[in-house]
Amino acid sequence: MAVQTEELAGLLARVALKDRAAFAALYSALSPKLFAICLRLLKDRREAEDALQEVFVKIWNNADRYLPDVASPAAWMNAVARNHAIDRLRARRNAAVGLEAADAVPDPTPGPEAAAITRSEGRRIEACLDALEPARAEAVRRAYVEGDSYQELAERFAVPLNTMRSWLRRSLLQLRECLSP
Amino acid sequence: MTDPRSPLTDDDIALAGEYVLGTLDLATRQDVTRRIHVDADFAREVARWETHFDPLADEVRPITPPARVWTDVERRLFGLPAGKISVWGWFAGASGLATAVLAAVLWLGQPLPPAPGPLWISDMVSEDGSVRLAALYDEASGEMRVSMGGAAPAEGRDFELWLIQGDGAPISLGVMPHQGQAAMPIPANLTALVANATLAITEEPAGGSPTGVATGPLVAAAALRRI
Repeated sequence: MAVQTEELAGLLARVALKDRAAFAALYSALSPKLFAICLRLLKDRREAEDALQEVFVKIWNNADRYLPDVASPAAWMNAVARNHAIDRLRARRNAAVGLEAADAVPDPTPGPEAAAITRSEGRRIEACLDALEPARAEAVRRAYVEGDSYQELAERFAVPLNTMRSWLRRSLLQLRECLSP
Repeated sequence: MTDPRSPLTDDDIALAGEYVLGTLDLATRQDVTRRIHVDADFAREVARWETHFDPLADEVRPITPPARVWTDVERRLFGLPAGKISVWGWFAGASGLATAVLAAVLWLGQPLPPAPGPLWISDMVSEDGSVRLAALYDEASGEMRVSMGGAAPAEGRDFELWLIQGDGAPISLGVMPHQGQAAMPIPANLTALVANATLAITEEPAGGSPTGVATGPLVAAAALRRI
């Protein structure tokens, strides 16, 4: 059962005012989705349970940071869950990767814009991914859904790590162009 | 291609996107997190990426977490002692379904009306945790739904529900069922008193207090909170 965005927005606003009943309702509505996101990324049930607990502590503490004009309440809470799960993943796999700082990467130039932008609500990301080369779209999806690191993506696509990062950053800028209103 | 109103460079935009995808290493993620806290433009860019990518999370199908997660969250944030189960955890445990939907929806046993009025809840737990009562009041319909759980009153006794507004005397709302749910319409002359009132249960002779004034021991009480 999908809970309406307006209901969630109302609950989240009340959570920002430290309303415990609203927080309980929010947990009831969203914990299955957020648990599934944590589990998908962490691939460990016990750790996903710990992560979900942390996620709801963060939602309680940070509800006032939600930006209603930029994100839907569900998207914001999904992001809190993803960010926390990925922090755990990266802490776990920290030894495997040694990326340079972000500013050490040369400024990537976006490729020519070739996408036909679909205007259908909410699915623009799919259309914009389809406009990327298939392997690059796949890399973006794997990173988002499975939590692959640059190291894992580089191995999967058999390219050097820095090449992988240049690919992905260029893909992101193409996506951004495609997604911008 | 950069929005002229935004001071962010392509590098910033790509970095925000990498953060949201999750590919950055831990140290860089921590740098980005610090920046989100101090750089509002960058924080908005991160939120934009989160919104753009969010439909990709649709393919992740919800999985109900075990009830202990909520118990742990409550204990951590509010310090509730183990054994005092909130109405939400209680219903989750009782039904096995509650975590999937708004607890209030389950509560009513049916979807909320298309335009539900303001809703109020109260969950009362006796000192020793043995008696639990949850109440949900819908201002639009003027109906209070109550659900009893835990121990029944002593032989020959009943639990009676009271409404207490401010410093006013308790007003009887009726005798509670020993178990299960009941709908209790609130008389029209009392509906104005429900907002922010406290609900209380006392143990009374069978059939309720003979005098209209609470005579028995107080079992549990809790404020009605708007949800």
